[in-house]
Amino acid sequence: MFNYRVLAVIKRELREKLFSKAFIILTLMIPGLIFVFGGVQALLYSTESKGLKFDLVVENSGLIGDFQSEFSQKDFVTKKHYVFNYMSMTREDFKTYLQNTRQQIVDEKLTGIIFIPSSALKDKKIEYYAKTPQNISLSRELERPINKIFLNNFFKSKSLSAEDLDFARSGVDFTGFKVTKDEKIAQEGYGNLVLAYALSILLYMSLLMIGQMAMQSVIEEKGSKIVEVILSSVSARELMTGKILGSAITGVAQMAVWLGTILAVSSSALIALPPEITLNIKPELVLYVLLNFFIGLVLFVGLFSMMGAIFDNAQDAASGNMPIMMLIIIPFFIAISMMENPNKPYIEIASLFPFASIIVMPARLALIEVPIWQQALAVIINLLTIYALFPLAGKIYRIGILRTGKKPKWSEVIKWLKYKY
Amino acid sequence: MYALEVKNLTKTFDKLVAVDNASFEVPEGSIFGLIGRNGAGKTTTIRMMMGIYLPDNGEVVLRGVKVGQEFKNEVGYLPEERGLYKKMKVLDTLLYFAELKGKSGREVHKRAEEYLKRFELYDRRLSKVEDLSKGNQQKLQFISTVLHEPEFIILDEPYSGLDPINTNLLREIIIEMKQKGKVIIFSTHLMDFAEKMCDHIVMIDHGKIILKGALKEIKSKYSQKNVSLTYDGDISFLKSNPIVDSIADYGNTTGVKLKEANQAQQLLRMLLDKNVTVKKFDANDISLQEIFIELAGHEENGTSGKEVRNV
Repeated sequence: MFNYRVLAVIKRELREKLFSKAFIILTLMIPGLIFVFGGVQALLYSTESKGLKFDLVVENSGLIGDFQSEFSQKDFVTKKHYVFNYMSMTREDFKTYLQNTRQQIVDEKLTGIIFIPSSALKDKKIEYYAKTPQNISLSRELERPINKIFLNNFFKSKSLSAEDLDFARSGVDFTGFKVTKDEKIAQEGYGNLVLAYALSILLYMSLLMIGQMAMQSVIEEKGSKIVEVILSSVSARELMTGKILGSAITGVAQMAVWLGTILAVSSSALIALPPEITLNIKPELVLYVLLNFFIGLVLFVGLFSMMGAIFDNAQDAASGNMPIMMLIIIPFFIAISMMENPNKPYIEIASLFPFASIIVMPARLALIEVPIWQQALAVIINLLTIYALFPLAGKIYRIGILRTGKKPKWSEVIKWLKYKY
Repeated sequence: MYALEVKNLTKTFDKLVAVDNASFEVPEGSIFGLIGRNGAGKTTTIRMMMGIYLPDNGEVVLRGVKVGQEFKNEVGYLPEERGLYKKMKVLDTLLYFAELKGKSGREVHKRAEEYLKRFELYDRRLSKVEDLSKGNQQKLQFISTVLHEPEFIILDEPYSGLDPINTNLLREIIIEMKQKGKVIIFSTHLMDFAEKMCDHIVMIDHGKIILKGALKEIKSKYSQKNVSLTYDGDISFLKSNPIVDSIADYGNTTGVKLKEANQAQQLLRMLLDKNVTVKKFDANDISLQEIFIELAGHEENGTSGKEVRNV
């Protein structure tokens, strides 16, 4: 089945697809976006607001020391994101002070004034005066330390042990730990989630692109009648084999470029991603995804080629291949739904299911530990599907490519299977 | 010795019998014509010979061995509906087709360039096929048919859609190939082309072989009863004459078919007696067209409607 004719077809397919300008540009654009995305993330992280000036006005002068000592340990002060000027005055004086500093705030020489009235010790209500008072990152960062000071003061008068106080002070810390077969349990950020998303989207995109290209090229060969010339040299089976392998190699090359870029970005020190979204991508994972993708592509491209052979033009084919598109779109949504909870029972099935495993298995691998036998099974099931479907797809292809005229009905296509061609 | 033997080929599509138990032999070194009207089953027969279709029944034998890939490698095939990869470059196209036949390397490259030069396409060798005129695309297709130096050349309706220049060019190629001792098989519905080019023919109608053999023998067999006539005057009296079987008007010439082979002299005398000016009277000539009509003509308007589309 594999001979110089198949090789010649593969070579032509690669020249047509893999080495076409449009395809190379498109393929390189995605890693470009990954770099830009990673770069922007790192940039945003590194250039957070620096040296913003605040006045912290406390009505109860006894609290100034608490604020100074509490804030001085915090990142936003040690890293000089925020600079605080602590002072104490009554509400009446504060009103005058606010009038006097109004111009500074408007000119942004002073970012804002935080006023902590004495009443705050009871109701925890504080005031913030600024040109842009809706500052989420400020309130998020200050909320905890300020609350801690209020709590300390509130419970100082009550006879509570330091232990009780610590407990009351602490919020709930929800830390995710990834449990694997390995002894050590690693604390985990959002990196795996990002990776699962990225894999799902990239696999989906590449699969659609390669599938459509394969179908187009069969339609073109059929439409331009060149296929009859080709068939005078090679058999339909050789032609189909060559075209499928050419497409699958193209797809795997594309995926290798993409995953290679992610691997390089996540492991290089060049672009320092924040720890909570560091991607936990390993070379073994990349190799498995490429293998799984190759087998899956062979299956899908086989079906897309069959569709191209049935129809005469792109419009008919676009409506005709909806069932195959569903086989790509549904697994994609299953993979996306997995981000919420990777342990849903249907996900395990989908990750082994023929057609679906091409997207679902890699996404699942990124999120949770999958036994090796399941990883192998997904590939084997796809191989068995190829073994079962390709004689039929091949026959439809063989008959379809030489058929012209009106769009065949599905019942007619089924009838083709009985022909002796 | 026959180069190719077609034995009992049968092909059915749905319920339509496209080729019905067809058998014929293609002698070595011949120009072989597969003749019949559109939809008679010529293309289906050729596709079965090429292994593009599997026959329901029968086989094709190449010099004593059933045809397979070796035959494909030895054939240059020009289908009726021709096509090329539009985005591919001219020279790449030629090399690709040769590669599919197992021919690659410097020699093929050189030969491709020679052909391109000869057909005045050398300057366009790096152009994309879609940028070529239709006539030049046809030339490219001819080259790709013969570039790998096939032993057999199979042309399906080669003259359809060709301009006069390319028609001549193709004829030149065919003659040249014949001189090199290659076997040329072509199908056509144009009888006069077949008559000029072929030395052996097979006539096919409704999937059945209705006539086969060497063109000369066929013609001498059928010509005895036929007279080819060019005249001035009125010959309508012949219609009811007892020695005349039928009259067919071909424009410049008129074919008169007699009931018996020895009545030609009687016919000539009769024409002279009736003052018809006889400009040409050929009692030993019959056109392929006439033979075809004699054999298949009774349903010439295709009333049976059983035409085979290219399926």
